[in-house]
Amino acid sequence: MSQGRYYFRFNLYHRILHGMVIVSFLGLAVTGLPLKYAQTGWGLWLSHALGGPFTTGYLHRFFAIITFTYFALHLGYIARLVLLRRPGVFWGPDSMVPQPRDLLQLGQHVRYFFGLGPRPRFGRWAYWEKFDYWAVFWGISIIGASGLLLWFPTFFARYVPGWIFNVAIIVHSDEALLAVGFIFTIHFFNGHLRPEKFPMDPVIFTGRLEEEDFRRDHPEEYERLRADGRLEARRADPPPLWLRNFSLVVGLSSLAVGLTLIWLIVATALK
Amino acid sequence: MARLLTGLGALLLLGSAVWPLGSAEAQPKPAEPKPSSQDCLACHGDKDLKRGAPKPGRRDSLFADEAVLKASAHARLECAACHRTATAPHDSPLPPVQCAACHDKARAELGGGVHASARGQAGAPACASCHGTHDVRRAATMTIEACASCHAKQVQVYRDSVHGRSRQRGDSEAATCRSCHGAAHGVLAKSDSRSSTYHLNLPRTCAQCHADPELAKRHNIPIANVYQLYMDSIHGRAVTKSGLLVSANCSDCHGSHEIRPHTDPRSRVFPANVPKTCGACHAGVLAQYAESVHGKAAAIGVSTAPVCTDCHSAHQIRRVEGAPWQLDVIRECGSCHQESLRTYRDTFHGKVTALGLTRVAKCADCHGAHTVRAVADPASSVSGANLVATCAKCHPGATARFAEFHPHADPSSRARFPILYYSYVLMTTLLIGTFAFFGLHSLLWLPRSLVERLRRGRGRGGEGPEP
Repeated sequence: MSQGRYYFRFNLYHRILHGMVIVSFLGLAVTGLPLKYAQTGWGLWLSHALGGPFTTGYLHRFFAIITFTYFALHLGYIARLVLLRRPGVFWGPDSMVPQPRDLLQLGQHVRYFFGLGPRPRFGRWAYWEKFDYWAVFWGISIIGASGLLLWFPTFFARYVPGWIFNVAIIVHSDEALLAVGFIFTIHFFNGHLRPEKFPMDPVIFTGRLEEEDFRRDHPEEYERLRADGRLEARRADPPPLWLRNFSLVVGLSSLAVGLTLIWLIVATALK
Repeated sequence: MARLLTGLGALLLLGSAVWPLGSAEAQPKPAEPKPSSQDCLACHGDKDLKRGAPKPGRRDSLFADEAVLKASAHARLECAACHRTATAPHDSPLPPVQCAACHDKARAELGGGVHASARGQAGAPACASCHGTHDVRRAATMTIEACASCHAKQVQVYRDSVHGRSRQRGDSEAATCRSCHGAAHGVLAKSDSRSSTYHLNLPRTCAQCHADPELAKRHNIPIANVYQLYMDSIHGRAVTKSGLLVSANCSDCHGSHEIRPHTDPRSRVFPANVPKTCGACHAGVLAQYAESVHGKAAAIGVSTAPVCTDCHSAHQIRRVEGAPWQLDVIRECGSCHQESLRTYRDTFHGKVTALGLTRVAKCADCHGAHTVRAVADPASSVSGANLVATCAKCHPGATARFAEFHPHADPSSRARFPILYYSYVLMTTLLIGTFAFFGLHSLLWLPRSLVERLRRGRGRGGEGPEP
């Protein structure tokens, strides 16, 4: 590690929440896929390795509760920003909301892929990072809602017709497959596996970004903060060794679990 | 007139039988040498030699065929070896031959068997009934005819059985009377607990042959390990472990003398006859089954209609409370109801059972097992009127709306399940669309990212060119 300058990109709250996302997402995937792939050998094996379908079901609901918790915490976080009248939550350079500029940068990025133009000057959130965020946001809403329906069918059947559960089964299962597939391939590639970041980008664990990476990956934000004189407020100490090792262990373990599941899904699909 | 003559004859015979016995006792035995066989045949070699008067149950001819004698097991014996009191000539009839005088062991074997205990009763078998008199046959050369002389009905039924027919075709391995009942001398009544045909002993008796998979292969018997399967079955355990006389043994299902192949319409295990065969003991179940769609179809001869053995198997009948059976029977239902099984496996119920959990709804939980009826039948557990109650068995508080859930929905059928179909199409499009877009995005990014990495050098945060 160089002795370069570091800046905070994610605060502790962001990192704890992403930790909850990792734990619950992996937990849900590992406990949910055996049911989706109940007809396969590995589905049966995994289900029984987890203590049988009954226990697996309980674990799945346990991880669902973690998901609902962090989703509520995140909504609370946004509500707090709004109540504190923090500007630019729903619009502006720091907002997660997709903006015309993102579409423009997508076009520029593709031109850059072909060597037809420079790399776009991304702000705090590149368009694919926004997509990752919204994919999870939308995914939790859809999978969570359909999951709750299936969890308490007799309760919800007081308010909705029974065929909703048929739809919920398809939506829950397919959206989950989309989430698992997206996170373990596209998100992993965008965030960690592409050669520039390989084997992983520890920023979500350490919260710290080296100055050079900051200037290259988020030049618009870097320049804006420097111009506003807010850059120094973001200065960070270099990540301690334990944190770097911790990120490596958690990150690579998650990667291993995710890629194994992807391999099983793809192998089943190809069979 | 004829009756009078017969009566006179009988009187004469009786007189002649009593008198010489009395006189023989009175007179001391003459010390003359025993007559040779030639001495006997001097008179008894005459084909026309007859008794003075006929007696019921006795042959009137006194002819002894030397050729028959010479061909018999007793060929080397003199007549006097058996007819010990014989003199040549003699006027009075000889006392009955005592076979046991020589065949001591046979008498011991007869022991408490049915053939021995019946002696002295009318129609009881004597040695000669089976072995013959002058044409004495060795046990090894005797055929079922010997048994047929008394057990005509059983032998006649046997002749038409798979065992009997195989014998007629020259199969020396097919069972005969002795194969199951044991050697004739010691044969015991079926009710005797020591008997090889006693209810609790019969499986082992059949197993003498039917525990041998090689034998099954030689005889094209479709199930090679019937005995092993039976012994593991609920019937076999009840018979051999608990000693339950009411539990089915081989003959309860297959019959005994009349055993026929399951392909024979007269066989008790012919598919159409199976419900009746099982119902002989399981009368309550039979009554339910007879009212079901399966039972009604089977009754009118629909060959694909499931009978008891289709779900419960023939020999390895297992406890229905056990998870293995409950999970296997789902596949069994699906062997005919393929579409229903496929759609069932798409739902939570079907997936969890595929993983080995029995606590969720399986076919019979909704449709009933023996009582299974068509959906259109108002008495069906899945008919409109009963559906909510059926769902509520597992889902207390189920309502009519809850019961609108379709446990066999098929998302690929637009005509029947339009909402489901479009949900499926939407989700699939979303999946394919997202992966196509970002897959391509990543593929294009990869070489570019590789170039960036190489330009910067391997170490991150090193001296790279300023942007």
